[in-house]
Amino acid sequence: MSLLQLNQVSKIYGDLRALDKVSLSVEKGEWVAIMGPSGSGKSTMMNIIGAMDKPSEGEVLLDGRDISKENAKTLTNIRRDKIGLIFQQFHLVNYLTAVENVMVAQYYHSIPDEKEALNALERVGLRDRAKHLPSQLSGGEQQRVCIARALINYPEVILADEPTGNLDEANEGIVLDIFRQLHREGSTLIVVTHDPEVAEVAQRTIVLEHGRIAREVVNENFVP
Amino acid sequence: MFLRMVKGAIFRQKSKMLMIAFTIALGASLATAMLNVMMDVGDKVNQELKTYGANITVVPQGASLLNELYEVEGGEAPVEQYLQESELGKLKTIFWAFNIVDFAPFMETNAVLPTGETVKAVGTWFDHHMDLPTGEQLDTGVVNLRSWWDVDGAWIDDQANPDIAQVMVGSSVAQAQGLSVGDVLHLNGTAATVDLTVAGIFESGDDEDDELFVPLSVAQALSDRAGLVSSIEVSALTTPDNELARKAAVRGPSSLSKSDYETWYCTAYVSSICYQIQEVITNSVASAVRQVADSEGAILEKTQLLMLLITALSLVGSALGISNLVTASVMERSNEIGLMKAIGAHDGAISGLVLTEIIITAILGGLVGYFAGFGFAQIIGHSVFNASIEMKPMIIPIVAILVILITLLGSIPAIRTLLKLRPTEVLHGR
Repeated sequence: MSLLQLNQVSKIYGDLRALDKVSLSVEKGEWVAIMGPSGSGKSTMMNIIGAMDKPSEGEVLLDGRDISKENAKTLTNIRRDKIGLIFQQFHLVNYLTAVENVMVAQYYHSIPDEKEALNALERVGLRDRAKHLPSQLSGGEQQRVCIARALINYPEVILADEPTGNLDEANEGIVLDIFRQLHREGSTLIVVTHDPEVAEVAQRTIVLEHGRIAREVVNENFVP
Repeated sequence: MFLRMVKGAIFRQKSKMLMIAFTIALGASLATAMLNVMMDVGDKVNQELKTYGANITVVPQGASLLNELYEVEGGEAPVEQYLQESELGKLKTIFWAFNIVDFAPFMETNAVLPTGETVKAVGTWFDHHMDLPTGEQLDTGVVNLRSWWDVDGAWIDDQANPDIAQVMVGSSVAQAQGLSVGDVLHLNGTAATVDLTVAGIFESGDDEDDELFVPLSVAQALSDRAGLVSSIEVSALTTPDNELARKAAVRGPSSLSKSDYETWYCTAYVSSICYQIQEVITNSVASAVRQVADSEGAILEKTQLLMLLITALSLVGSALGISNLVTASVMERSNEIGLMKAIGAHDGAISGLVLTEIIITAILGGLVGYFAGFGFAQIIGHSVFNASIEMKPMIIPIVAILVILITLLGSIPAIRTLLKLRPTEVLHGR
């Protein structure tokens, strides 16, 4: 059974079909990139996969459970328990330190554990920056805090929206190295990007155009 | 973690939280100042109104009855009924003794001037010193009860040498007789004649301009009524009448139930003070100068209502200010709130976090506001009443409840906005 399965999923805004009968399967431990130009439906797909929005039509099965008809409260619980979110704009709480930003995710999930949060920061190479506020960190460092926050609750799926969109080349390399490491450890990664270099390092790339899957590319040169 | 988040939000966003605290402090200070002044304004306004004269008159029982029968206003008592001068000190022994601010006895008699004209001579205390039975000391007299008199010269000094008898002459008499300050006036009474030095010429604006005011002992000597007084004027701090007071006044205290009687007796209604005066002054009838008492009550009630309205308006203004600031703060933090929702925070948890931050800020602002408000109350007290406003402990819980209430009410629009926020809208700008 696939970890994630989208069956004929559509999202309709008035006359606009942001997603149009999209079907997709993602296996556990797989690294999938979703590509496409602006307006192709990438973010809409991310919102639906990330349980932040519901489809207008079709079903979304996460770990065998249809989440397309769940209410807002249940979707919040699903995000909390099963999904780790990484954003292009990082979205860190600006008055909390790096370690506290990681602990916020623990707090809403279960019990905050500073030691565990520090370990998560160590995995992304930021143990020594734990007590710094976001304003005292570089863009790459902020994105790594965001990754540590996404990892902290051991989610079923790590969902990244343009994770390198605001980073320079050096930091992009660091983030992709972290993704490789996570993949080796068995994490399921779904990365939404418009950057071909980021898509190329994934196992499989789904290309969206006008809300439909235009093609699917399996990376023959994928290095686990 | 919750406390770390609250602490971080408050101390790492100082300017924003200071602005909210400042608004709350402003509202709390206005509420504190106005409530303190409102609670104290009764006494203060009462004190002010006492400068406009007595509000209780005490006359002998027989004189009162005949005055009522013949509708006699003022003038010499139509029958030989008098009160005892020796009992005046008892006025300061009644239950509401501390509310008796001033009093003065009066003995009215007719005297003949050197020109042959008859004039009313009123004997009274001007600034009389008393050693009370309670051990206290008191200076009282018409200097306080006729504070509006325009005096040319000086008031008679009761403490001065009693051998030098003095008189205060009404302006009409002084003009008619060509009297000036320092002149000696020869008076013929029914029982004695005296030579009095004119200490001052007064203008009262009423019938008293046609009279002479002399020390009580002089009037008693002129009429051979030593130790007697024909009436007493009392200035007392009173509580505005209510239904109970009106019932007691119309039907008499004996018509009240035991508990009503105790409430009435232990409240400073003008009628209960009159009743208590009658208890200590033999064969007396004490009655309110109803026009003065009613006016005082009306002024007091209107002043308190005005204060209450200002307090309410200041609180409404404060609530609107808080509402705007908190809503603006929530809108500014929409990304943060959207993120929290995205990573699994429920609406209740986020609302609780925001409300806790605001309530803590409100408490800090409220504390500052309370002390600032007490300072404002003192400024109002000194500039309007020339006296300090007493700190009322009951204001503390009232202001605390008001601050929490207006903060919660002011936060409702912000919480509604917060609950409507969807993570996708703020995280992707859609």
